[in-house]
Amino acid sequence: MKKILEGSHAVSEAVRLAGVQVVSAYPITPQTHIVEAISNDCASGALDARFICVESEHSAMAALIGASSGGVRTFTATSSQGLALMHELLHWASAARLPIVMAEVNRALAPGWNIWMDQTDSLAQRDTGWVQLYCEDGQEVFDTTLQAFMLAETVNLPVMVVLDAFYLSHTYEPVDIPSRETVDRFLPPYSPKIVMDTANPCAFGQMAPPGVYMEMRRDIQNAMEAVGELFEGIENRFDGIFNRRYGPVEAVGCDDAEIIMIVSGTAAGTCREVVAALRANGEKAGMLKIKMFRPFPVQLIREVLGSVGKVAVVDRNFSFGASGIFAQEVRASLCNVKDHPPVFGYIAGLGGKDITPETIEEIYRRTKAETMPEKESVWVGIDG
Amino acid sequence: MSNGLNTKLKYRNPKQILNLNNISVYTSRSTTTTKTNKTGTWRFLRPEYREKTAPCSTACPAGTDIARVESLAAHGKEIEALGTILMENPFPAICGRVCFHPCESGCNRGAYDQPVAIQRIERYLGDTALDLTGGAVPEIQPANGRRAAIIGAGPAGLSAAYFLRILGFSCDVYEAKNEPGGIMRWGIPAYRLPKRVVAAEVDRITRLGVKIHCGTAVDPAGCQDLFEEFDALFLGCGLGRSIRLNIPGGHLVRDGLDYLHTVRTSNHSDIDGTAVVIGGGNTAVDLSRTLIRKGAVGVTLFYRRRIEDMPAFGDEVKRAVQEGVRVVTLASPARIESGDRGKILTLQSMKPVGMTGGGRARVVPDGGRLTQIQTDHVFMAVGAEADPIWQESNRSVKLSHCRLSTGDRPVITGGDLTNTTRSVPDAVASGKQAAMALDIFFKEGAANLEQCLEKNRIGNGTALSMEIYRKGPRRFNSPEVVAFDGINTDYFPESERTPESVVPPGESTRSFSEIHQTLTATDAGREARRCFNCGICTGCDNCRWFCPEIAVTVEGKNRHIETDWCKGCGICVTECPGNAMTLVEEPP
Repeated sequence: MKKILEGSHAVSEAVRLAGVQVVSAYPITPQTHIVEAISNDCASGALDARFICVESEHSAMAALIGASSGGVRTFTATSSQGLALMHELLHWASAARLPIVMAEVNRALAPGWNIWMDQTDSLAQRDTGWVQLYCEDGQEVFDTTLQAFMLAETVNLPVMVVLDAFYLSHTYEPVDIPSRETVDRFLPPYSPKIVMDTANPCAFGQMAPPGVYMEMRRDIQNAMEAVGELFEGIENRFDGIFNRRYGPVEAVGCDDAEIIMIVSGTAAGTCREVVAALRANGEKAGMLKIKMFRPFPVQLIREVLGSVGKVAVVDRNFSFGASGIFAQEVRASLCNVKDHPPVFGYIAGLGGKDITPETIEEIYRRTKAETMPEKESVWVGIDG
Repeated sequence: MSNGLNTKLKYRNPKQILNLNNISVYTSRSTTTTKTNKTGTWRFLRPEYREKTAPCSTACPAGTDIARVESLAAHGKEIEALGTILMENPFPAICGRVCFHPCESGCNRGAYDQPVAIQRIERYLGDTALDLTGGAVPEIQPANGRRAAIIGAGPAGLSAAYFLRILGFSCDVYEAKNEPGGIMRWGIPAYRLPKRVVAAEVDRITRLGVKIHCGTAVDPAGCQDLFEEFDALFLGCGLGRSIRLNIPGGHLVRDGLDYLHTVRTSNHSDIDGTAVVIGGGNTAVDLSRTLIRKGAVGVTLFYRRRIEDMPAFGDEVKRAVQEGVRVVTLASPARIESGDRGKILTLQSMKPVGMTGGGRARVVPDGGRLTQIQTDHVFMAVGAEADPIWQESNRSVKLSHCRLSTGDRPVITGGDLTNTTRSVPDAVASGKQAAMALDIFFKEGAANLEQCLEKNRIGNGTALSMEIYRKGPRRFNSPEVVAFDGINTDYFPESERTPESVVPPGESTRSFSEIHQTLTATDAGREARRCFNCGICTGCDNCRWFCPEIAVTVEGKNRHIETDWCKGCGICVTECPGNAMTLVEEPP
């Protein structure tokens, strides 16, 4: 049934329907609405889960590591500073191979204090071993959250569902919320590979000498590589029931494009409109939306971008001393492709600055006007 | 999402499609059990399950194991909860109405938000049992061949009979009036304690085999006759004589208790005109409120001390004022005369003197200030005394709630005859102490009586526990009383005490219907869940969940600490919500 929901509640509805068993979270704007709704569901009995209140995000993740080690389905949500505080335990969750699902609402890091949209918080966690999936609208948020549980529990890696602050978390849109029976057809109850047996206590997370440590790390990477293939399988199953799919990447107008713009999150919605308008005017513009950032879909990106004229990456984030983070990843994906296209990097929409259709058009025109990028990153929308 | 422009994408190397069931999960987890690591060798402190005493139980004259009652009620085990009360008190439905609930003043929850409404939960449990026949009553010990006679079927006499019966005595109760209950039946008005409640709880006692002989007055000479038949005697005949006002015109004053008795027995007790009540105790307040219900158009209560000195329960005084009783303090009657229209009462103004700190004020006449009022009726309720026919014996042992005389036959005097606080729960305490004392007397003699009784004391209060007495030397809890700082309040979110459901004063004065309503089952359960359950194990299993060494095992209801692995970290003790565990030093 279609409901008018804000993005935050698209997440909490998915969590409720997924029958999560343990939730632990610490409130932080703009994530708070998610766990607030879940807390209500726990109190009312709509969700039969234990909600563990904690004093910090570090403890929230620690609590879920404990719960997940015990073999139950777990969830948390955070943003910005909260995610940064979790950093140590993000590594722990993935290396302990715990299928924890987290909603991460992209928010700028302080100082100066800023509660608005910026991807640097989640992208700064790219090396922690978490799968990262970026969403464009409320429906995608709901669908991806459901899929995240299946993905996480199949490969035993934690999954981060990422959504834009306010543009997505606080914006109301129609979202199709299926019945529990339908969700149950897609997502079976959790059958854990890691469980605790109190009758036969074991040591978890104990010393791993050089001989085994590297193998464990290689094992995590094998699981990450499996995610790409697996995601397609999960989407097939999802599509069969719900008639929707997204793909790790989505290529729009790319078959004949001379310039492909790479976007993620809600900026993809804006870019879609601009590409359609440009093409209506005879411009050979295309858009590649990247949903899956970890594992990075290198093969798909090479397939789409390998023969295009120019690539323009719109980064709503920045790695100081380097460039936009999506641009880095795209450049790295293409460097071993013969005669790969030049990659133009644009930084836009940090700290909640709007990415408007004009912003995208400007990026397109500037890319079209240049043969090769003059510098790694062009900051759009500010002087100098 | 698709708008016709989408590119169909596929991974290039289909050979890489993996068997999803075959994804390896290689983690740093031990392959053998960690049981081989005997962490118990690290220990120098040891946690112990040690149940303690709740402050409410200590404060309760009847010594009810309240923390356990609330725990059972919170889990819907109402019959067991009731059985726990009946172990110590035969009158839950009565005390649930008329007790002055010192338990609630002692409640640790009072230091947190508001005390648990213990009395109302007791009333709820008592009321659920009114229609029960049997079930919750404690087991009776096999007959010991001894017969006890009890004089007076008031709360003390009935309690003595109840507990003696439980201990295996055969009991006969002799009551001068034509129905049992004493002050509960004749003194306390029906809007506080309906007749059917008293009848049902007395009935429970007779169902145990106690024989009550009503309309059978016994005087001291009669007691001598009883000694022929009985092995022991309990005197609980109460304070049968009202204290008279020793002032000019005192004969014009009507006795309050007599009037209350008339109201409960006859249909001809209506009052016209105005009335004055002299006194400050519960009887004076009950009387004032009864007069309003009986048609008096203005009721004034005169008390010689300050309002805070009144022996009546504060809530009852407040309620009387709400119902229209005018309370005048620091006014003492000087004389009463008959006038043309009614009576003229002269009052002497009083003033408190020598007040240092708390306590009841001493009052002296405030110069020559006199006032006069005219009224139709003057009632008094300034206290009662024992009939002087009951002389105190010289050879007696004085206990906290009764007195034992050991002549040819043991005689125990109890109830209001010996209690300093004259209340129903203190009468219960008296009856219980008497029963225990007689049992000890017959088994061990009088020499060690006080020592033997002392073993059954609850915490640091005066109450004795029949449960402890019956279980023998192995106490089920430590007399240590749990203080508020011993509670882990993390497990108790703040919550409001269930509001009282009360008939509004304007409506309540129109009849003798009960003013306070019994809690609903839902509210009683909710209120019981507010209890900290100080000092008792509720089986919450926090000790087990939090133990980092999985050293806590459960067998049935009992939890056990495996000392091979308990390293003495004390987390279980910290996380025990109600302080039912203690960390002790391991002997060197």
